[in-house]
Amino acid sequence: MSSNAAAGTIDHHFDPTTSTGVPNKKLLMWLFLASDCMFFGCLISTHLIYRLHPPPGTPAAKDVFSIELTSFSTFILLMSSLMMALAVNAIQKSNLKSLRASLLMTIFFGCIFLGCQVYEFNNFVLEKHLTITNSILGTTFFTLTGTHGTHVAVGVLWLLLMYVRSFQPREMDKHPWWFIRNVFHVVVAIGTILLGMNVVIECTRSLQAHGFASGLAAFGQAYFLRLVALAVGAGVLMRLARPGYAVAFDEKNAIDVEMMGLYWHFVDIVWIVIFTAVYLLEYI
Amino acid sequence: MSAPAHASPAGEHALEESKFQIFVQIAMILAVITGVEIIMVYMPFAHAFLFWTLSILSAVKFLFVIFIFMHLRWDRPLCTVIFFIGLILGGGTMWALLQLFGAQASVPLSAG
Repeated sequence: MSSNAAAGTIDHHFDPTTSTGVPNKKLLMWLFLASDCMFFGCLISTHLIYRLHPPPGTPAAKDVFSIELTSFSTFILLMSSLMMALAVNAIQKSNLKSLRASLLMTIFFGCIFLGCQVYEFNNFVLEKHLTITNSILGTTFFTLTGTHGTHVAVGVLWLLLMYVRSFQPREMDKHPWWFIRNVFHVVVAIGTILLGMNVVIECTRSLQAHGFASGLAAFGQAYFLRLVALAVGAGVLMRLARPGYAVAFDEKNAIDVEMMGLYWHFVDIVWIVIFTAVYLLEYI
Repeated sequence: MSAPAHASPAGEHALEESKFQIFVQIAMILAVITGVEIIMVYMPFAHAFLFWTLSILSAVKFLFVIFIFMHLRWDRPLCTVIFFIGLILGGGTMWALLQLFGAQASVPLSAG
């Protein structure tokens, strides 16, 4: 890590080496986001057109949606945006510890959002009988929110790769196994995250089905091995988070983190529009 | 809304220091706006008033995120121009589609 004295010497908003003054990576990301605006604009307008002119037999969206759950996931995504902004701010000051903590919190909030979406989709299909094929509401709704959810999942994977990238050793000759170590780090992290999400969803189901005390006991008996695996995964991740060598990740890598941050915030602003256009306007 | 992008190193450093507070304050404002939006849909206001208020609040949240969290306020104006080209094209497409399919002759025959 570079010293704090060196922090703040790079101008993160102006690159004199390019003709535009904007770093090329940032320019590329803004162009991509501009194109993605058109992509989501078409998906949202398709949904709205069929909501304004629903074919006969279309279920009432108000009876299907759960505004409480959606409000919670909206709040979570907003907080993940805050964490992402703090992560960019941290790396611009070469504060690696703060960067990693902020990235982990962003990943955590992103996983909660995805978990809420999995729970919501599950509830819609199994209990409200709204599938992607049985009504035009289901088709446009699942296509739109599913595409957004895919963007979130890609963002979580990117965040995870950036987190692991921050452990790349400065002197790679002295650590020939760094690449395998980082691949292992990614695999363990993905496994632990998926297992954690599965455990939380199954625990919620068990509590809903059996009540708090007996639900917790039934869950503990049925998923004991998964809980142990989760604890082992978390332990391995904590060990891998202490590399014990100097790493090659500092203020010079801020542009990579900022690019990822732009993508993550874009996912957030798309959800801001979806939350109002798809959910809230159904309730007025 | 873009501030001068090429500040002095000292000014740049002070700006980085103050961003932390700005980000936290903006996140709190966004959370409050979201809360207000949710409460509003349960209030007995006129349909048109609710529609426009929710749309404006959503736009305010959108602008806060792109200008503060996405640093457009501090970046070169070119970034703002590029993004708004995509945004206007996307928004224009939405508006055009809604107008086209909202016209009486375009309403699906099976629509209720």
